[in-house]
Amino acid sequence: MKNKSLITVICFALVLCVFSVMCFIKPEGEFSESERRPLEKMPELSLESVLDGKFMAGFEKYATDQVPFREYLKSIKANFVLKVLNKKDNNGIFIHDGYVSKLDGEINEEMADNAAEKFLYIYESYLKGKDMNIYLSLIPDKNLYLESMGYPALDFDELSRIMQEKCPYMTYIDIAKLLELDSYYKTDSHWRMEKIVPVAKLLLEKMGANSNAEYETLTLDVPFYGVYAMQSSLRVEPDEIKYLTNSSLENCTVTYFDAGEGKKGDMYNMDKAYGKDPYEMFLSGSTPLCVIENPEGDKEKELFLFRDSFGSSIAPLLCEGYGKITLIDTRYIQSSHLGSFVEFNEGSDVLFLYSTMLLNNSMALR
Amino acid sequence: MLFSSIPFLYYFLPIVLLIYFITPGKLKNSVLLISSLVFYGWGEPRYVFLMMATILIGYVFGLLVERFRKKASAKVLTALSAVLFLGVLGYFKYANFFIENINRLTGFSMPFLNVVMPIGISFYTFQLLSYIIDVYRGDVKAQKNPINLGAYIALFPQLIAGPIVRYRDIEIALRERVHTIDKTAEGIRRLIIGLSKKVIIANTMGEMCTAFTSSGDKSVGFAWLFAICYSLQIYFDFSGYSDMAIGLGKILGFDFMENFNYPFISKSVTEFWRRWHISLGSWFRDYVYIPLGGNRVGRMRHIVNIFTVWLLTGFWHGAEWNFVIWGLFFAVLLTVEKFFLLKYLKGVAGHIYVILVTLISFAIFSAESLEGAMGIVGEMFAFGRMPLVSEAFIYNVASYLPVIILAVVASTPLGSILYAGLKEKRGFGTAVDILEIPVLLTLLLLVTAYLASGSFNPFLYFRF
Repeated sequence: MKNKSLITVICFALVLCVFSVMCFIKPEGEFSESERRPLEKMPELSLESVLDGKFMAGFEKYATDQVPFREYLKSIKANFVLKVLNKKDNNGIFIHDGYVSKLDGEINEEMADNAAEKFLYIYESYLKGKDMNIYLSLIPDKNLYLESMGYPALDFDELSRIMQEKCPYMTYIDIAKLLELDSYYKTDSHWRMEKIVPVAKLLLEKMGANSNAEYETLTLDVPFYGVYAMQSSLRVEPDEIKYLTNSSLENCTVTYFDAGEGKKGDMYNMDKAYGKDPYEMFLSGSTPLCVIENPEGDKEKELFLFRDSFGSSIAPLLCEGYGKITLIDTRYIQSSHLGSFVEFNEGSDVLFLYSTMLLNNSMALR
Repeated sequence: MLFSSIPFLYYFLPIVLLIYFITPGKLKNSVLLISSLVFYGWGEPRYVFLMMATILIGYVFGLLVERFRKKASAKVLTALSAVLFLGVLGYFKYANFFIENINRLTGFSMPFLNVVMPIGISFYTFQLLSYIIDVYRGDVKAQKNPINLGAYIALFPQLIAGPIVRYRDIEIALRERVHTIDKTAEGIRRLIIGLSKKVIIANTMGEMCTAFTSSGDKSVGFAWLFAICYSLQIYFDFSGYSDMAIGLGKILGFDFMENFNYPFISKSVTEFWRRWHISLGSWFRDYVYIPLGGNRVGRMRHIVNIFTVWLLTGFWHGAEWNFVIWGLFFAVLLTVEKFFLLKYLKGVAGHIYVILVTLISFAIFSAESLEGAMGIVGEMFAFGRMPLVSEAFIYNVASYLPVIILAVVASTPLGSILYAGLKEKRGFGTAVDILEIPVLLTLLLLVTAYLASGSFNPFLYFRF
């Protein structure tokens, strides 16, 4: 073809010039919704930052984060990897039958040790020697229910065995058998509140609490694109968030504590429901300490729930069995500071309820 | 700075090309030198001064060697420059290796040097050596213009990963070079193909290798899968970088030598090394093997020459025992082939033999140490001691098989033959030409998409 070389050169020069100009003039993005993180800013240019290489290292991250059409480009890459190259996952994110999930690898014993050490510290500092019933329950990752479809899953039985062995002062409650794939959101890592009523009932029964409540199911009127939907960079069907209520739950009072200050709030935070991460509607998402008081619950019974984000959506279902539930998330409060804010009363129940995802990557526990 | 990065492709390259092409001919080498120093300083700001000093010393030695050529002092000056350049290379690349081994042997506890190896030092040291030796031999004239010599040594397309360009090959182009649309278009084609090889294939293979090394679910099958993927990764990474270098060179008006010629289709290791990292092989042939006497000596001396070259080749790749073993592994194979095996290596048996030994060799090469190398090779042959397959192996085979097949096909000349055949075929030639441009642009889009996703993008040459 005549002029083939000329057309090649013109096309390449145009692409290079246009994209390059766009890189220079595009306004700086602030935040990546899909990765839920702030985007890199232009590093400070100075002789010192150039000589020590910090400017260049920062600029490489900046240029990659601020590239024009970044979300479209990520989507092109994800589609190419999964649909053309036929890889089973893209950056560890995979899709099977509408379920989006993340490969969770193998058991990291160091992380399990770390979690067990943190639990032991709490036990020895606040619980040991008191008349308290201490329970442990592990929440499997949804990959466990995708394993039969050919995706590797963390060995749940082995991790629960390790944790039971390392925490002999706790009574283990096995909830895995009550869960199945549709107990989880398709696009998120978390479990669905409306599917875990049997899990809550089992926990209550095992802890000797009342477990007969009936609930009304309400549906949030916004589509829920979970964390994996965002990370997949693919067009996926959204989930629906359903939440349960009854008269007893409506009468509960919820107090959130941050930096020692208590603030009244709702069981279901509707501001967060319409925010960036609707799952945070459950007990307002990440909070270090939260107390639910149920005037219709058994006033003699109190529960201390050590938990991660999965605990937010199951805690309301445990309310009927207790007059007071204190939720503690030691990712946001030092275990050593707990004594200043929480009084661990004799006769209470204590439940350590954690996802295997967190236990296998437990550096966040403080 | 990596070629396969957003800062290079959409910041550095457009600015440099724009300035380069609007600059008058006489000043183009100055633009190349400055942009190459910026390119180099981007990753190693402190070592720009080392690079500039090296260029200056090379320039002075070149002039002195030429001045005293055919006199004994020229030999002394050449030897002195070699000691100096190899001394700098030794200090940065090998000193800690020797300290570690002396400590091990003697029980001393000499402190390690707190040095970071300058990227590309092995490549540009060899270029300088070849320049001075060629001046000494009278093969080339010393470069009178320090900017031209600087542009040659620091030339950013080939600075950090080769090919090892000889001065004599681009001496004329440094003075005057022609920029044509056809050559530029060919350069663009090579650049995009190289980027695609690196970003789409090599990096994907690299992901699989990382999955293997970080997995505790090992098996014999998984170790072999790793060896296959690592061999493909290093081939597509290295040959991709060479394609990018050659392509960028063409855009700038240079013609660099080819560095790879489908090595995995070889039927013998001898042939493999004629097709793999050709610029390094030919460097050792011309500056070590032949000066030692090559094959025009007695059998024992010939074997010693082979072992010397391959010991050095292994050591050039990295200051670890596994690289030494890797080089000696090839020395043994090449010796056996030369004196016995070569005549039997024909057809499929030859191919199987080459694939098998190269897989083992790259498993050795992939490790960080001799112990690591023994570990991986041990796993490849742990029949009976390890399971044949594991869950991680099954998942990764299923996940990576299409890319592995693509990589295997792309490592043969099948694509080129098909392309050439279709172009020759009546009625198809125009269609191929018309399709080629959108295909290239699609590849560039995909590469950009991978880079924008911040995908796994390792840099394999830091040890070289």
